[in-house]
Amino acid sequence: MKINRVVDELDYKTDNERALMERRTFLRFALPLGLCLASPAYAMDLFKILDPEGKNKDLQKAKGILEGAESIVAGSVDLDYESELAIGEGLALEGFKRYGLSVKNDDLQQYVNLTGNAVARNSNRPTIPYYFVVVNSPLYNAFSCPGGIIFISSALIGNMQDESELACVLAHEVAHVGHKHALKSLKRAKFLEGVGKISETTMKKDEGKKFNSLIGNLQTVLFDKGLDKTMEYEADLTGMETAYRTGYDPQGLIRVLNMLKAKESGANKKGSWFSTHPPLDTRIKKCGQKLSEYPDSGAMARVRKRFVEYRKKL
Amino acid sequence: MRAKAIVAVLLTFVLGFVLFSSTANAESAAADPEKVWVRSSDAGLKSDRKASSETVAVLPFGAELDVLDYENKWYKVSTKDEEEGWIYRGKVSKEPVESSESGEEGLLGDLAASSISADAADSSRSMRGLSPEAKAYAENTGTSEKLQEELDEVLSRQADSAQISEFLKNGEIGEFAP
Repeated sequence: MKINRVVDELDYKTDNERALMERRTFLRFALPLGLCLASPAYAMDLFKILDPEGKNKDLQKAKGILEGAESIVAGSVDLDYESELAIGEGLALEGFKRYGLSVKNDDLQQYVNLTGNAVARNSNRPTIPYYFVVVNSPLYNAFSCPGGIIFISSALIGNMQDESELACVLAHEVAHVGHKHALKSLKRAKFLEGVGKISETTMKKDEGKKFNSLIGNLQTVLFDKGLDKTMEYEADLTGMETAYRTGYDPQGLIRVLNMLKAKESGANKKGSWFSTHPPLDTRIKKCGQKLSEYPDSGAMARVRKRFVEYRKKL
Repeated sequence: MRAKAIVAVLLTFVLGFVLFSSTANAESAAADPEKVWVRSSDAGLKSDRKASSETVAVLPFGAELDVLDYENKWYKVSTKDEEEGWIYRGKVSKEPVESSESGEEGLLGDLAASSISADAADSSRSMRGLSPEAKAYAENTGTSEKLQEELDEVLSRQADSAQISEFLKNGEIGEFAP
């Protein structure tokens, strides 16, 4: 839209000249824009070639827009792992405040931790450690904090039927961490701009306040508004793939979504998967389409007996 | 007119044949790749098509493997060091691993140089408490000691490679399936 507006402001003598200039201007913008989507750095290099002295106002205006986009993307994605985990820890503390403390049963916690780590090592980001915790909550919920700390509620596990269902939900959350969805969703994360590493120094005075504000924004995204629906669909499909690669029946995710659909009318929706995730029917449909890639999914592990034994410990 | 019709039919046939054969080739390549890449942080090259068989080598994440054979969910492969063995299908991908997929730099072929090594995925080797930054956050926001201890406990929970393998074996999952 901005490109069109810039073009409209130009004053051309004839229709032919105008049409010709529009095409040229479009091509000048289109190539860097396309490159920016693929790689912002390449787009910036191209701007230098097209207008080395920075005399063309239109190109400079477009460059400014793309530079802004580049700094947000670079700021949120290029954080080092320790900094990402520090953000995740801050968010996890808020997770306990919001959803309750962990279920006090070491056997159950270790069982969920092992199930989660079993899928995580075949995930789209298998090279970082992952931590899983079951919290006492009546809400049907699971969420992941940047860096790999993953929460799941007792109510959600309590209504599952086998280990493949648990594995699929945990794999969905691991996929969010792998794709860095939470960080990418912070469109105006001023704190992250130009910050590659969060340190104790960063936490002092005003910078500490910005960190707090960042955690606040993440809470709004993860606990209230929910991530972008395209991110949820991506996590569903990546999660199914991860569970399948590990050896679990990927239909476990569809069974959980169907279970949630059956519970939806009588459930408390605020802060749960019902309010923070896209409509269940759409998710079930998309996951069902993905199943065609797994012709032997029915023969994969579901592990009901062991799961039921641990579920009793809730 | 008749000549044109015959040419059209012939062209359609030839085009259809070309399209069919290229699709068939693509499907064949997808089902039977010449190369696969390690996509798991715990990928053992086995002497036989059994998880319980001897581990010939532990393969690094992203390693390229030549496919020699495929049998019942297991690939027979050879490494760049010309070691041969079997690997479970869930541990590899038919597409090369890109660094952006893993999220960490320096992973491809240089795990030692990475800030997060393959060992880091094994949480028993990375036992840790709350980071100084998170502690500072807790102080700034008046978060109780009890909540900090809750998180400390989560971060210090172990899940090493041997435990995960035992867990999968007991559940007869993946490479341990009968």
